[in-house]
Amino acid sequence: MATASWVCLLLPLASAIAITAAGTAIPRRIAAYVSTLTTMGAFVAAIVAFADMAGKSAPHRGAATTSWTWLSAGPYHFGLTLLTDQLSIVMMLIVTGVGSLIVAYSVGYMDGEDEERRFFAYMSLFVFSMLLLVQGGNLLLLLAGWGMVGLSSYLLIGYYQERESAIKAAKKAFVMNAFGDATMALALFLLIQHTGKLDYAGVFAGSPHGGAVANLIALGLLGGAVAKSAQIPLHTWLPDAMEGPTPVSALIHAATMVTAGVYLIVRCHPLFENAYVIADLAAGLGAATLLMAGLIALVQTDIKRVIAYSTMSQIGYMFVGAGLGAYPNAMFHLMTHAFFKGLLFLAAGIAIHAVVGEQDIRKLAGVGKLMPFTKWVFLAGSLALVGIFPFAGFFSKDAIIAAALDRGWYGDVIYAACLAGAFLTGIYAFRLFFIVFTGEPSAFAREHFHAHHGQEGPISMLWTVGALGVLSVVGGLLQFAPIWHPLTTWLDPVDHPIAEATSTQEWVTSALAILIGLAGIGVAWTMYGAKRIKVPRAVPLFEKKFYWDELYDVIWYRMGDLVARGFYALVEAPLIGGSIAAVTGVVGLGSRELSVAQNGLVRSYVLALAGGLAVLTVVFLAVR
Amino acid sequence: MHGPEIQWYVVLSGMLFATGALGVMLRRNPLIILLSVEIMLNSANLLLIAMSRLRGGEDGQIFAISVMAVAASEVVVGLGLIVAMGRRNVELDVDKLRTLRG
Amino acid sequence: MMSTALIAIPVLGALLIAIAPLSSYWLGSLAALISLVEVGVWITAAARFDFSSSALQLDQRASWFSDLQVSWHVGQYRFSLWFVGMTVVVMAACTIYGWWVGRDRARAYFALMLLLTGAIVGVFTAQDLLLFYAFFEAMLIPLYILIGVWGGSDRMKATITLVVYTVVGSLLMLAAIIVFGLQQGTFDMTRMGTSSSQWLFLGFVVAFAIKSPLFPLHGWLPVTYRESPPEVSAVLSGIVGKAGLYGLLRIAIPFFPQPVHDWRVVILVLASISLVYGSLLAFRAPDFRGVVMYSSLAQAGLIVLGLFAGNTLGFDGAVLQIVNHALVSSLLFLIAGMVERRTGTRGEFSLLGGMARGRPALATVIMVVGVISLAVPLSTTFAGEFLILAGVFQQGWLWAVIGAAAMVLAAMYMLRAISAVLHQDVGSAVSEDALDLRVGELAIVVPLVVCLIGLSAWPNLISSRASSSAPTGFTQYAP
Repeated sequence: MATASWVCLLLPLASAIAITAAGTAIPRRIAAYVSTLTTMGAFVAAIVAFADMAGKSAPHRGAATTSWTWLSAGPYHFGLTLLTDQLSIVMMLIVTGVGSLIVAYSVGYMDGEDEERRFFAYMSLFVFSMLLLVQGGNLLLLLAGWGMVGLSSYLLIGYYQERESAIKAAKKAFVMNAFGDATMALALFLLIQHTGKLDYAGVFAGSPHGGAVANLIALGLLGGAVAKSAQIPLHTWLPDAMEGPTPVSALIHAATMVTAGVYLIVRCHPLFENAYVIADLAAGLGAATLLMAGLIALVQTDIKRVIAYSTMSQIGYMFVGAGLGAYPNAMFHLMTHAFFKGLLFLAAGIAIHAVVGEQDIRKLAGVGKLMPFTKWVFLAGSLALVGIFPFAGFFSKDAIIAAALDRGWYGDVIYAACLAGAFLTGIYAFRLFFIVFTGEPSAFAREHFHAHHGQEGPISMLWTVGALGVLSVVGGLLQFAPIWHPLTTWLDPVDHPIAEATSTQEWVTSALAILIGLAGIGVAWTMYGAKRIKVPRAVPLFEKKFYWDELYDVIWYRMGDLVARGFYALVEAPLIGGSIAAVTGVVGLGSRELSVAQNGLVRSYVLALAGGLAVLTVVFLAVR
Repeated sequence: MHGPEIQWYVVLSGMLFATGALGVMLRRNPLIILLSVEIMLNSANLLLIAMSRLRGGEDGQIFAISVMAVAASEVVVGLGLIVAMGRRNVELDVDKLRTLRG
Repeated sequence: MMSTALIAIPVLGALLIAIAPLSSYWLGSLAALISLVEVGVWITAAARFDFSSSALQLDQRASWFSDLQVSWHVGQYRFSLWFVGMTVVVMAACTIYGWWVGRDRARAYFALMLLLTGAIVGVFTAQDLLLFYAFFEAMLIPLYILIGVWGGSDRMKATITLVVYTVVGSLLMLAAIIVFGLQQGTFDMTRMGTSSSQWLFLGFVVAFAIKSPLFPLHGWLPVTYRESPPEVSAVLSGIVGKAGLYGLLRIAIPFFPQPVHDWRVVILVLASISLVYGSLLAFRAPDFRGVVMYSSLAQAGLIVLGLFAGNTLGFDGAVLQIVNHALVSSLLFLIAGMVERRTGTRGEFSLLGGMARGRPALATVIMVVGVISLAVPLSTTFAGEFLILAGVFQQGWLWAVIGAAAMVLAAMYMLRAISAVLHQDVGSAVSEDALDLRVGELAIVVPLVVCLIGLSAWPNLISSRASSSAPTGFTQYAP
């Protein structure tokens, strides 16, 4: 099992290095196939590890292997440790499974682009980084993987490097994530100071229970999670990240990287349970985000941005689950979300690919009539998103919402927020579906639609989307809490939930959620499908994304710029220019003053001699 | 010891030295200054020899001979310079000769 | 013999180059050969080194002024071995760069570069205070000539600034050395005891703070770095600056425990200011060299934070970060030089941009070095920074918060620099003729990058037991 884990981790790294080192010597297709095959190889290795693990009995399933000591200083030692336990294997399977589907999809999507090789090297780097994150056996390696996925995200968002908007978006994403890295690092310093270790077992055993230190540690970790998962207040980078190619949005900004924050909370749940204030804060932030993102998604006109805000919203649900302590539910939703959100992005990608890269939904309107396959898979994904039985989202989302009832009045507030969010989800998801995939094609769509050899897109794009479609339909059947819950049982030794709903609550919540979701769909249909009601004018608050971008621009960028400029003018210029000018000035002045004595008159020199002699004579006679 | 007491020699030497020093400080002609420097040197010689006679060793007299040698060399150089300056019609006044200023 | 050989080989090589009747091409290749031989000798020394021992190794001692107890005493500790290693590797890269680029008056140039190598190795291996001072000053002469003859248009101002600043510090240090040595009765660092004099401590600290540099004594930084030839800037920032930090580490801290304790907060404040100030100025710098030089200022501040943290975490992190930064900043300056050559500019961002198109090698190298320089997690620079901040956190949480904020600033300024050169619209100075990195340039750059990546896989090579491998009194910091 250990070997399989190492193979799973290192195959994508080898692929990234190989593609980079080969440079321009290999044709583009080879780079694409190398990347795809290594990711699939990693998936196979993950399955082998899983099979091996399943064969053992529950208490013995986790295993940590260390290859060498990565860093040490005095009494502190941090090794290159891989931890393969029930939680990490679930993440490994999701990352490599959905990852290989998406990388395979991009073989077709990116075909013919100028610098495909670079793209696939970056994709492999990302898969490696994400695996390092979930397999890391100590918090230092988790932070390392954390930063590396941020780097891969920067490289991939900025893939279209001539576009200024893409570069700006890439930098913004990286800097916000760097902020999260910094808060996490501070949490790690606290842990080192109080426990002297960073491996999970040591940290969970040694960290304080309650009190300011525990809260600070959890807060630091939460800061990193919020940045990575694009929750309020560090969420503004995610919509801009849509500048990257669509497979990137699918893999990184829907299925895997943005869910890393949820993984962190679930993995470090003892630390959060020691600081329940912070855990509640996490749930609160998740609830606020899911509402805000839902409202903003109602008025977006770019197909990818709608799906991006939807991602933000769904991760809000996962944060609610993780924050309240319903860890298996959060992980289950993470899994189904990877399926249906990946599906939605990739299906949107087929449409975008077919209509000369256009992303505006008004221009793409009605293209569903020209692309029936895409329409049906998109419908499947949307139904899964809204959570209609028997699609995947139904099982996972409702479990989280129901679990909120287990946490007193605070949980009840969140419960209401989640149901409101479900309503919004219905509206925005089907607004998108009805506009783009139903009705008559717009003039733009008709004119610019290009079928690919008679089909909607290259084969690699179609079969992968189909696979995700199937998963979105049946994937949810893995767990239905009142009746069967293998996932919860599997994860129990590692993540015992502290919030669970009763069966009645589950049934009632599911019913309510379906009704509310259907109501949302109905509203969307009346406005966009049947066009019975005129669409209300968009509220500027929603359109301007609640003015977060403007706020951050003023606080961080402009302030920083001002301070830097101030330093330049007030400190640096006087300091450098000043210091040398001062030195030379003083020396010059002194020498000018002293040179008055050198006047060239012999008699004045003689006078000086005589005077000096007289003084010396007196001194000698006096001192004697 | 025969002859005048030592104080006469010391006083004479002092007066000669003072004369020479005053000459160097107050006269403007470089030739006269050179002359005055010679007077100072001779006053030192006189004192050296007188003291050597008093104390009985010959160190002072030997030193006086070295001084004479040095004085002679220096007069050669100085006189040569002054004669050369005179030949070129440079005005022989130290207050006017101040090109070597800092 | 090893340590003396490491000093003697480049010096003798310089003499050889000064007299050998060869053309400038062959002189350059001879110089390159000698610097590679030096690297080889260092590798042999490393192979013979016993890494589990904390004593001074590979040392030679010969008496010089026996009545003052001054001697030729050179040797290496575990951390000095790595410092010598980074010196010879970086100097080899810079010498080969000079050969590749083709400098006129090659004879003088290569002789000076080799002399500089010998002097810097001497600084890191000297175990006698006067000998240390001699080598410290000896570094300055080749630098002065290299900048003054082969530098940019304003080089005279640069040389004067550099010399005045350095010499002021050095004279203070000389006074402190003399007093300290006479007090102790010997100048041999391995036999000296400690002192509690504040003035001696400050004399040393000021000299080293000028060299590192640290705020507010960094006034020589901008003009000197901008006007030097790129490989000399690489040496200045990468190694000569580290000599200042080495001085703090080897002399100022171990011999003055009480003054360290008294002045700790002041020095930590200055280091934090350097860190933040340097990062902010790098963010606004209008040219590539400006970004790298202010980043050097910031990193020097970070390393001093680690040194004065007073525990093994900070100290080991500082040692690791010294080696890291030497490699990173010299790479950055060499790359700056390569970009400047191709575009005929001085690296001003307003004239650059879009260089990544059609130049994959250049883009990859700049990207890799850039992200390592901003300490992306998993890199060796991250490891060093993490240890330093973890260590200084135990001294006070504020320092670590400032350091963490600087991590974010580093991301901002480095990404800005990378994008300004590589991305977006093609700049006005970038023409189609500007080639991708040629084989020769890759041969200079790639070995350094490989070192960095290797260190990223195993930073423990340098960080483990770095502090325990120090002379006695080191690990007994006053808290």
